[in-house]
Amino acid sequence: MTNEELQTKYQSLLDLANQNGWQYSLSGGDDGVLHVDVNVPDDNAKQQVWDKYNEIDPGMAGGDLVLNANVTGSQSAGGGANTYVVEHGDNLTKIGQKYGLTWQQVFEANKDIISDPDLIHPGQELKIPTA
Amino acid sequence: MKVKYLYVLAIVAALMMAACGKNDSDLQKAASSKLAADNVSGVTVAVKDGNATLTGEVADITVKTKAEASVKGVEGIKSVDASGLKLKPLPPAPTPMGDDKMMEGTINENLKKANISGVTAMVSNGEVTLMGEVPKADLAKAMQAASAANPKKINNQLKTK
Repeated sequence: MTNEELQTKYQSLLDLANQNGWQYSLSGGDDGVLHVDVNVPDDNAKQQVWDKYNEIDPGMAGGDLVLNANVTGSQSAGGGANTYVVEHGDNLTKIGQKYGLTWQQVFEANKDIISDPDLIHPGQELKIPTA
Repeated sequence: MKVKYLYVLAIVAALMMAACGKNDSDLQKAASSKLAADNVSGVTVAVKDGNATLTGEVADITVKTKAEASVKGVEGIKSVDASGLKLKPLPPAPTPMGDDKMMEGTINENLKKANISGVTAMVSNGEVTLMGEVPKADLAKAMQAASAANPKKINNQLKTK
């Protein structure tokens, strides 16, 4: 589908954002996948955005939309894409492996909360650096 | 006699103009001010025999639809052709967050944070494939876990139970 066809398909999603004054930005489109980023005030609004997506494309299996509804104002709680919560039995090497990083890279990014690389605690929220 | 003839002609002409409604130039002005009043910019209107043609470039589909509806709402406009109204090209999609391995890690962590199990996320060339089975209520959450890593595309093969 072209950019315009994709936008037409997902127009009611954009209308929903416009009606509520939620800012959005569009990107991509010409490669057959439309990226929509909407800034929403709370989780309820986020739910409405996702419900609309599911209404337009039941099952959300079309593979032509990448949707992000970002709850603004609580970015650390809402986003959280780049953090990892330490579990029992974890160590920096193990955590690094999950992301294709060395333990040193994980340690470097978290020097403010980790003083001893051999000592991390369950529940600690570690920053995951981009490789 | 001659004066009377001219008088009749003038009445006939006036009646014909009234029957035709406003002329194209008035309609064009009315349509343009309606667009301005509705905060639509970047659209040029041309009117011929009461039929409006819109040209220009607008931000997205919602503006195109709005422009069409605005002009349709102008009294005297018979039809609106918006096929010449183009959408602005979009910026490229955001770069995926890290390489494939990194994205997989991020998505798995997002799934874990959302308390979703039974989903396998595979990333290849920045495209995510989601496999497995989830309760229907968790489908959107699984999709959110994947989209937060800015993939190029999400192939959702999840089954719902």
